[in-house]
Formats: sequence, structure tokens, C-alpha cells
Amino acid sequence: MISGRASAVPLRLGLPAAIGLVLLASWWLACAAEMFPAGTVPAPADVLRAFAEQARTGRLFEDVVASLFRVAWGFTTAVVAAIPLGLVVGRAPAPRAALLPWINFFRNLSPIAWIPFAIVWLGIGDPPAIFLIFLATFFQIALATAAAAGSVPRIYYRVAHELGLGRAAVLFQVTFPAILPQLLTALRVAIGVAWMVVVAAEMIAVRSGLGFLIVDARNGLRMDLVVCGMITVGAIGIALDAVFARLARIDSVRWGFER
Amino acid sequence: MTAVLELKGVGFEHPGVAVIDDLDLEVARGDFVVCVGPSGCGKSTLLALLGGHLRPTRGTITRRGHSRTIYQDGGLFPWLTVRQHIAQGLPRDLGPARAAHKIEEWLAVTRLTEFAHHHPHQLSGGMRQRVELARALAAETDILLLDEPFAALDYQTRARMRRELASALVDRPRTVVFVTHDIDEAVQLGDRVVVLGPRPARVRRIIDLPPGRPRSSTTSGVADAAHAVMTELGLT
Repeated sequence: MISGRASAVPLRLGLPAAIGLVLLASWWLACAAEMFPAGTVPAPADVLRAFAEQARTGRLFEDVVASLFRVAWGFTTAVVAAIPLGLVVGRAPAPRAALLPWINFFRNLSPIAWIPFAIVWLGIGDPPAIFLIFLATFFQIALATAAAAGSVPRIYYRVAHELGLGRAAVLFQVTFPAILPQLLTALRVAIGVAWMVVVAAEMIAVRSGLGFLIVDARNGLRMDLVVCGMITVGAIGIALDAVFARLARIDSVRWGFER
Repeated sequence: MTAVLELKGVGFEHPGVAVIDDLDLEVARGDFVVCVGPSGCGKSTLLALLGGHLRPTRGTITRRGHSRTIYQDGGLFPWLTVRQHIAQGLPRDLGPARAAHKIEEWLAVTRLTEFAHHHPHQLSGGMRQRVELARALAAETDILLLDEPFAALDYQTRARMRRELASALVDRPRTVVFVTHDIDEAVQLGDRVVVLGPRPARVRRIIDLPPGRPRSSTTSGVADAAHAVMTELGLT
């Protein structure tokens, strides 16, 4: 029977671990039985060796740092630019009417479609990758902010008016805290998108990062290294998500998730 | 006595819909006026006009003093604690020491001291209304506007809240406009009951009540007043 908190923690960690073990065992058995054509699926032991080799040379660490650096820049600039835009579009009718369809248009444009321009305009290296992450997250965050800002109950503004709050105080003491839970959820989704896009961008425009590690390994027919890169990408994705999930427990936003 | 709130020929319409039409009303200092009327007759719009949140499309509204509104639900900020709400209500010119003292006082008056660090979603409906009440009363404004403040509460809590509001007003008298569709509430709390007609709202009749509040339904004159209100609303 599932009841109480005591069983919740072992369940939360134990069940996924059990599924992981089942997957690992199936993978190992399939490889041991030589079920796949040679060179198509590496065995778990090969992948483990690839991890050890990467750890020894320090390349995996460097690639992780390179990818995180690009995500940090692209995501942060997108957040800084998109939130003010979203607030304006969400609260003011004229900018809303003028800009919302265009934000929606660009949001639906896959960032991959920008790759030719990213390379032509910014060359190779960090800038095109950062640019692609920016594009992938900016419109999403702007739209989510606009939707959240547009749905703040009118009653809050009436209360603020009676409290005698000025424009800046209304923004920082009413609108912003009111949209924070929704914004945090949008940022959590966006960081996941940013992390997916960096891998794709690094396969094309740069010579470092986890995306490059994967494409480089494929070119060298090192499928063990490809899987090593994939596992690292997935694990860091979970870690990034966990950071944003934790932010939702802060006192001033918890109300949005507990009601 | 000078009127704190004065409405002359006030009309309000949303595009194509007249909500209030040619409404005249005077509320004197310290008066407790209760407005009753059929649902959707524009009672909440009237309070929004009195609070200065809407502008009348016709006529004039004179308001002498600041007002605070207490809403049925949703007037609290979910990200603030009870203490922060009360602090927000206090007049700006209090020093920190006096403000802290006032907050403790209002927490005690509204019996919320042990919930000072709770957020609204962690409180019961009655407690939330007490926070609204504390924030509004802490402001020490001249005018209180109440928009069906106890409508979402259960019967017992509602009765207790009426008594608490009445006793808070004995200690610190204010001018009150209270909107409700509960006739018992109207005749127990008000000095005058203003009966509004169906939309577009106009004053149909003003019924005076015997002095002293809150009064029970057995106080002389209360049953007659309730009957008069019901007759005016076509409920008898």
C-alpha cells in the first residue's frame, strides 16, 4: 500500500532505479547475445570504458563546460529581454495587438531553421550557438510572460490603487509576484529547450561541447562515445530541471503550486 | 452633517449596457449604509465607482476622504503573509517601531497572531476575511467599502464576522457602504438600507433602522424593516 511520506522517498528513488537496472540488464543481454549488427550498438562495458577515457583526458568535462556556458549566455539574455517585452505585451492593449501575432509566429519557427543565418551572420564558434539558444527561448518566455501578465486578476490592481502604490511599486509588488509561479514554470520548460538546442547547434557550428562530442564520435565510428555523450546530455538536463523545480519551493512562489 | 460620499445623477454604462442609471445618494460621516438589490443589479459597479476604480459615464461623485474596499474573495495577495498584508495597510507615516506595534495590535484584534506568517491559501475563508478586515481597518481611512464580504462564509462564521465588524466600528467609527444580497445582514448592520432596483440600478427606497448595531432580528423595528426590504424587492 502506498501511504504516508515514509514510503514516498524510497518509491521516488527506488522505482526509477529499478527501471534503470531493467533497461541496463536488457541492453547488456541483447549485446551479449549479439542481437545487433556489429558496430551499431555499443555494449555497456564499452560505454563505461568511454566514460573512463573521457574522464581521464578531461575532454568530457571541457565539453560540458562549453555547452553550459553557451546555454547560460543564450538563456540569460533571452530571459532579460523577454520578460520586459512580455510584461508590456501582457498589460498594454496596443503592443499586445501589434506584437502578439509576431511573437507567436517566431515562436513556431524551429530554431534549427535559423542555422543557415546563424552561421552566415555570426560565423562559427560560440556566437551562433548562443544566438540559436536565444531564439529558441526568447519568444517562448515572452509569450508565457505576456499570458501570465494578461491574466493577473483586476482586483489586485484595485487593491494596489487603494494602497496608493505608484507605477513602479505596482510592477514590482503586484504584477511581478503575481506572475512569478507561471513564469517559473515557463523558465523550466525553456531551459529544457535551451539544453536540447545547444546540442543541435554544436553539431553544426562549433568544435566543442557535448553536441560536437557526439557528432565527432559518430564521424570516428565511436558509438560508445556517442552513448557516453547522450547519457551526459540527459543527466545534465535532469539536473537543470531539478534546479528550476527547486526554485518553485521558495516561499514567495509556493502559493502558485500549492493551491 | 457633511456628506462624505455624494452621488448626483450618476450613470454608468459598459458599451451598450446601462449598469447604473440616474442614481442619487448621500452618505454622512459615520453612517453605515447597506445597499441591497437583485443579483447583477450593479451593486459591485457602484462600489467600484465609490472607490474611484471606475468613472461614472454621467453625473458626479464627490468623495471626501480615502477609502478601502473589502472584497468577497480574492482581494488578498497570495504571495504575502498575514503580517505583510496588515503592514501594507498601515498609514505610510508611521515609524518602524509604531508600525510593528500596530501590526501586533491588529493581529490580536482579528485573532490572527498565531497565523501571522501564513499565506492566504493556508487560511480558512473566515480567516482570510479577517485579514482583509485588518488590512482595511489598519489603514485608518475615513471610508470603508465592503463588497459582499461575508457571502462566501458559512452561517456561523458569517454571524461572527458581522459582530466583529460592528465592534471594530464601535472602537474606530468609519463611514461604511456595505453591499450585500443578504437581507438579515442588511438590517442587522446598517443604519440605513438602500434598496436598489434591477439593472440599470436606481435607488428604489431608503429604509432607516433603529440605532445600535449589530442588532438581532428580535430588536424592535428590525423585522418591520426586513419586511419592507423584502416587499421592495418583490419577495413577499
